[in-house]
Amino acid sequence: MDFSYTDEQELLIESIDEFVRRSMPDDLITRMYAEQSVPDELTRAYLEAGFALIGLPEEYGGVPCDRVTLGILTERFAHASGCLTPFLNNVLAVNDMIDFGNEEQIRLCLETYLEEGKPLFSLGFSEPGAGSDNASMSTVTRRQADGSFLLNGQKTWVTAGESLPNVLVAAKDEDPSPDNRSMSMWLVPRTTAGLSTSSLHKIGAEIMPFCEMFFDDVVLTEDMRVGVAGEGFKNLMKNYEMERCLIIAQCLGIAQAAMDDAAAYTGERETFGKPIISYQLIQQKLTDMEIALLNTRNLLYRTLWMIDTGQPVRIESALLKRYGAQACTQVASEALQIYGGLGFTTETRLGRIWKDCRGMEIAGGTNEIMVHIAGRQLARRYARK
Amino acid sequence: MEIIVALKVVLDDQDIALASDGSLDTSRAHQVASLYDLNALEAAVQLAALEEGSRVTVLTVGGPEIDDSKLRKNILARGADELIMLLDEAARDWGSFETARALAAMIAKRGTWDLVVCGDGSADRFAQQVDVQLAAALDTLVFDAVVAWEWAGAQDGRLSLKRKLEDCEQTLACTLPLVVSVMPDIATPRICGMKEILAAGKKPVSVLTAAELALDLADIEKSGGATRFELIETRAPARQKRAARMYEAASSEGLRVFCAEAAALIG
Repeated sequence: MDFSYTDEQELLIESIDEFVRRSMPDDLITRMYAEQSVPDELTRAYLEAGFALIGLPEEYGGVPCDRVTLGILTERFAHASGCLTPFLNNVLAVNDMIDFGNEEQIRLCLETYLEEGKPLFSLGFSEPGAGSDNASMSTVTRRQADGSFLLNGQKTWVTAGESLPNVLVAAKDEDPSPDNRSMSMWLVPRTTAGLSTSSLHKIGAEIMPFCEMFFDDVVLTEDMRVGVAGEGFKNLMKNYEMERCLIIAQCLGIAQAAMDDAAAYTGERETFGKPIISYQLIQQKLTDMEIALLNTRNLLYRTLWMIDTGQPVRIESALLKRYGAQACTQVASEALQIYGGLGFTTETRLGRIWKDCRGMEIAGGTNEIMVHIAGRQLARRYARK
Repeated sequence: MEIIVALKVVLDDQDIALASDGSLDTSRAHQVASLYDLNALEAAVQLAALEEGSRVTVLTVGGPEIDDSKLRKNILARGADELIMLLDEAARDWGSFETARALAAMIAKRGTWDLVVCGDGSADRFAQQVDVQLAAALDTLVFDAVVAWEWAGAQDGRLSLKRKLEDCEQTLACTLPLVVSVMPDIATPRICGMKEILAAGKKPVSVLTAAELALDLADIEKSGGATRFELIETRAPARQKRAARMYEAASSEGLRVFCAEAAALIG
């Protein structure tokens, strides 16, 4: 088993470190969280450095790579900067469009992305009554006599929903009942009549604000449909596993940054005339934090390797998401604890990292939903033959 | 335009550990491109982009240990078209005289050239000698301390150079061929994108030995002085242990203690 990085992956890591060193000073990161936005110049610099193209197909100007490398890019970027960024969401959104959109929609989306580094649209999938339980979605489109459709319903936790010009909405076809699995995706301009938004205020991950979105008799036309009619559910499910992996890659990166800070601090901070690292309680914290990070990293890259080698990861991605989000939150929490009173202030980045990790126990599927996904499958996997 | 960049491979100073006796432990140090040579490479690549059909070739000289696949890709991902390495046991401890002779032989073997670009100085010795000695070996002009340049095109055929000297800035225009050494300000090394990193592995790399260049090593080393001295040791000066005391700045008592102790230290 070879755990080493390739030359290319090592060079990519060096490039990321250099980019963060040049373009993302601590005061900028603090400002981005306070202002809940990423400056266009940074998004453009990320694009110009070529990171935004990694993972996109070559025919669309991208640089295709394996999922392990995409994980390394994501983890390292979060580690080097110690913060979350929307860049990962951006490339996932563009990949969604490449997977499901028609040529014209893909062209439009890529034109914007390759010019600005931002996707053309936010993703409106979750609803107040339907998060991971997509079948309970009640947003619905109904066909009208003139061939148009009326969209009604509500979406929530729409990341960048108030800043991106369009939203990709998943909605049931004709019938909102849970039994109806027929749904479609629609690319809807945010300025369309009947579409309104309301800001939601998060306690963490403020760098990526989200909002609620309301659809009140929004008129859609057939050319706004993305992908095959009725197959929206299948589309939604397709990218969840990769999304879970990359969410944990981000968590792992920022938790590693917390570990870096805390481990260094244990050699600097003195109590009773000795550095706190000389106390076994602190040594145990560092030991358990490192185990949590290594376990998460091993699970992450094994799962990504399985995707790369064409193996199903429904169970593994759920295990990773459940374990990794909690483990990284615990690492951040212990790092904060090691800093004591200082850790509970905004003088360090540990509180921010803890909040960001904590949010990832919910985003992309809660810890509990991961049990729902993995538990029954595991019983089947281990059933006596 | 055929542009040559002379690039030195050095041990990464970040990996060099200082032992308790002051000796340098280089056993874990990776081979990397010398810092300022990356600025020279970037400047050369930007200049090449101004003249269609231009090529940038990187030359490097050293012991066989500098041949590292990641290092090769790192150089070629920065826009160079080709890398030529002279790898020889004899070259491991060469100084600037021997290196300049070897580079001149490599350039002669390669063929046509218009411009040789050197960095301001190497990250390890910073002797700032290779540029002038290389120009002497190539029997051409050399200008150092170049901070900017302009290329009006092949028709004009002159490279306009701005040099930052001790007490003045000098601008001049010079026909090619020419050797220049550039200050770091001339260009910031690029951040390699994944596309360039992947493409780097497919670019041509040639490896030469001193024998293949028909270098008379005995003569070169004798003239350069390499046979006349022996490096006994390299040792860091003794360091005073730092107190590294932490004070609790969140309390006024902590601040008071800090101020009192600082005042006592300063006297």
